[in-house]
This record gives sequence, structure tokens and C-alpha cells, in this order.
Amino acid sequence: MAQLRMQGHRVLVADLANETIRAITGSMVAYDGAVAFKNAGMGGGDGFKAAFKRKMTGESISLMEVTGSGTVYFAVDAQDITILELTNDALHVEASQLLALVGQLRTDVKFTGLRGATSGQGLFTTTVTGTGTIALLSAGGPIIALEVAPQYPLVVDPDAFVAFHGQLNQTFVTDVTWRSAVGGGNGEAFSLRFDGQGIVYIQPEER
Amino acid sequence: MAMELENYKVLKTTIHPGQRVFARQGSMLYYTGDVVFTPYSMSGGGGGMPGVGAIAGAAGRMMQGEHVGLMVAEGSGTVYFGRDGLYVEVIELDGSSVLTVEAERMLAYEGNVQTSIVSLSSQGGMRGAVRGAVTGQGMFTTQVTGYGTVAVLSHGGAIALAVGGAKPQVVVDPQAYVGHLGQITVDLSAHVGFRDVVGRGSGEAMQLKLSGQGTVWVQASEKKF
Repeated sequence: MAQLRMQGHRVLVADLANETIRAITGSMVAYDGAVAFKNAGMGGGDGFKAAFKRKMTGESISLMEVTGSGTVYFAVDAQDITILELTNDALHVEASQLLALVGQLRTDVKFTGLRGATSGQGLFTTTVTGTGTIALLSAGGPIIALEVAPQYPLVVDPDAFVAFHGQLNQTFVTDVTWRSAVGGGNGEAFSLRFDGQGIVYIQPEER
Repeated sequence: MAMELENYKVLKTTIHPGQRVFARQGSMLYYTGDVVFTPYSMSGGGGGMPGVGAIAGAAGRMMQGEHVGLMVAEGSGTVYFGRDGLYVEVIELDGSSVLTVEAERMLAYEGNVQTSIVSLSSQGGMRGAVRGAVTGQGMFTTQVTGYGTVAVLSHGGAIALAVGGAKPQVVVDPQAYVGHLGQITVDLSAHVGFRDVVGRGSGEAMQLKLSGQGTVWVQASEKKF
């Protein structure tokens, strides 16, 4: 399996030996060796059903297949990058924060409740399942991993949410009062609440 | 005289009497000591094109779009430079090789290095000119020679990749390209296939191919400035 490593905090390096990885379209900044870039297709390389779902849900993810032998460098808008290992597990991730996928991983779109309708984040998030390595983007600084335990639920801003994994129940919290209705709100009317056991990743910048 | 990083985004420059530091106009953050800043007129001094008259050189610069307002810092003290929260890379020139960088990315350089404007087409003929037009990088870049230190700006920090030896060719996204040092030839390659035309491309249709012996700097972003 192709190896992912970091050069600094904002450049992801993939060493390919006649292998294929998937990454966000246009994220290559440099490479050496013999490497080809090809659009992975509408489903992000996961077939017709995924493509159809994506089309219907508007949760767009545009991946390219990077194939060959050499070293490839990826970066997006000077965002910090975090590498996560997934072992027969599922990660729910905001599509815009997914940088690269290596290994036996499938992406799919999942309904996440009504939170998206009002937060403008889409009603659906992307799920990545299987075994492999994932690189996540985090705007504004290094990613922050927050642990959620049954007795400690977590509330995050939808605009700062990046990903979560574990046995978590995600609910959408509204705090719309007459104040926010007349424009005197505190700017935190919508939040995401996580209950259960798992880890939530957020970024230090609101989209 | 010494240039070093105060942190990732601030350049600290120590100036002694009789020495000059060139910097982008307005990039001074603060200074200590007795330092005088004067706008640098392009028509004279080390900035002119070699072999070209002073006025012609200045006019040439403006026409080429590589005109960036410079100032000279002189005196005795310590000056701190920075711009727009961009990351600063300090590159040492040992007199043996040439640094090529866009004028927009120059933050400051020591007075004893020479800069000149080079047409890309002189490097790569017609293809060089086409590359400039297509990548939006301008048809001309700044070449820096001599012995001294140059401070270059990048969005999100730059990584240095070695070209040559085991890696005879390094390919760079034109938008992420910062500059290069050494004996390197640059060529633009366009892989515009059917997929790109219908909007299904990989987003990597335009590529800069660097081959030879040296170093290329690549920034962690595809943002131009």
C-alpha cells in the first residue's frame, strides 16, 4: 500500500511504487517520476450508485486517481493536513476537508439529518469505510481532536466540523430565539451535538 | 549584515553602516536603531538591465509587468519585514548559481546581490512565452545573482525539492511554483485532453517541468499573489 507522509504541516507526500491513490482534484503541487492524473469519475471511483447519490444529494466530491511510480506532493490553500489510519472502520467527513485516500476504502454519501438545511452544509456527509489511510484538511491551523464519552456530550459549530468516527449520535441543535429572529442573535444559533463514544475532529476556522 | 527569520512570517534584518538592503515598499513592520528608508528609483543602480540604458531599463521593467516598488534601507539597526501574513523563506546565494523568482514574491534582498529581469522566452523560446501567458506568471521573471541572502514570500510556506541525481525531472503545478535555483531548464507542458475540455479533467492539465541540477521551491497552496 502506498505510503503517505508529511513534509512540514501543509504538504502531503505520497511515495508510489506502481500504485494508485485518490486525491481531491487539482491538489497536486509537484511530483517526480512517472505519474499520471486522471479524473476518478463522478462517483469518486466508487461506481454508479455513489455517483447517482452524489448527484441527487449535492454532496460533491471531486477526486482524481493518481497512478504510477514516483513521489507526489499535495497541498490545498495552505491548510494543515492530518493523516489518519482506518482499520475496518468508518469515518464521517465533510467532503471539502477530504484530501487523499489510500487503500481499500469506499466513499459513500449518508443522510445526516436536517442540520444541513439551515447550516448550509448540505443534508449529507461523506462516509469513508474500510481499511486504509486518509488525509484530512484543516483550515486555520492544526486539526483538533475532541473525545466524546457517554457522560460528556459535545457541541460543535457546523462550520468548524471536519470529521468524526466512533459510535456517535449526531443531532442538530437550534437556539433560535426572538433575539436572533430580529437580528440580535449571538451568531451561534445552530450547533451540532454528539452523544455516545468517539472522536470528533474540528478545525480552528469557520467555513 | 544578516537576514534571518524572527518567526515563520517575519524577517529580521540587521543593517550596518555602509550596507544597503532592498525591500518591497511598505513591507517594514518595525525597526530599532537609526535606519533611513528611501524609495528606490529603478532607473539607476543594480536593478537595471545589464547593457541597457538606465531609462530604457526602467521603461522595460514597467512594460514587462515585473515592476514592484522597492525601497532601500540604510543606516544602522535592525529592521523587521513582513507582508500579508505570508510565509518567508530565506535563500542563501553563494555566487555560483542563479535564483529565478517572480518579482511579486521578493520580500527583501541584500544590496550586494544583483537582480535582472529575464524574458522567459529567452529561456525556452516561444514555449517560454506561451508558458508565461498561460500560467499567468508574466512573461518575465527576476533573476538574482551574486553572494548574499534573498527573502522570498510564499502562501503557507514553501518546501524545497531537489532536482537532479535520482530525480532528473520534477514537475510542479504552475500556481504552486515559487522559484528555482541552479542549472534548471523550465518547460511548460500541457496535457489538455478531451476530458479537460468537457470539464472532467484531473485539474492538473498545466504542468511546469523542471530538469537539470538544482532546487525548486513549491508552496503549500495554489494561490497566486
